[in-house]
Amino acid sequence: MIKKRLTLKILIFLIFSDILETLTHLLFKKGALTQDHLDINTVSAGLTFLGGVFSSPFLWLGLVSVLCTFIIWSAILSKIDLSVAVPIASFSYILIPLSSALFLGESVSLFRWIGVIFILVGVFFVSLSTKESEVSLR
Amino acid sequence: MKEGVVFTLFLIALTSACDTINQLFLKSAINSLTAPSGNILKIAKFIFKLILIPRVWISFLFSIISLCIWLFVLSRADLSFAFSADSMHYVFIAVASRFVLKERVSFRRWLGIVFIIIGITIISFT
Repeated sequence: MIKKRLTLKILIFLIFSDILETLTHLLFKKGALTQDHLDINTVSAGLTFLGGVFSSPFLWLGLVSVLCTFIIWSAILSKIDLSVAVPIASFSYILIPLSSALFLGESVSLFRWIGVIFILVGVFFVSLSTKESEVSLR
Repeated sequence: MKEGVVFTLFLIALTSACDTINQLFLKSAINSLTAPSGNILKIAKFIFKLILIPRVWISFLFSIISLCIWLFVLSRADLSFAFSADSMHYVFIAVASRFVLKERVSFRRWLGIVFIIIGITIISFT
């Protein structure tokens, strides 16, 4: 089945899904940071940690964001092939380190960016495909 | 490599493995149905049939486990590191597709996997 070519509208949807995915992980990170992570070496300490994170609104906002991403992603995939969508969606491998530096105050070194570029190229190679038969579920 | 990086990588590998198992169960459940085409009604019917398959629930369970481990990872590692390292699920999925689902994995895919592994190795040393 040949699907429609990438249009500006679909591209905007794809960028939007990238931003949502970035938002999801920022919210999860914020949720995880609300709890003290030190000394998680027993099961009960682990459960206390999870209980704390799951009672943080950040986590639930993150889950809402996951649901929105899923709906948008399904809509995108009904219009274009996965092999076109995934390479564009992998823009989040840039967006997440960038927003980690901007909003979480993480320091992202040049060396780490080089690693990120390698991963990005790898994801491109893995997901680019011309044959429909090669397309697999993400 | 900084102290604790190996353990963090192990946890990330664990979430990626859970993700991979989740995808394999989902894919195998989807493969047992005929793909819907066209209207929303048919797609809704497809999703309804899908959620009745026990394998989909196993898949769902693994995604919850994956989320819990991911939260542990985020509590101890930089997001910029953890999200990049999580790309190892591409490696697991390719290997599992090849050996569990018996799919053909092209040379270009294996090349991509090599790039991902190099990338993860580089960020692990930062």
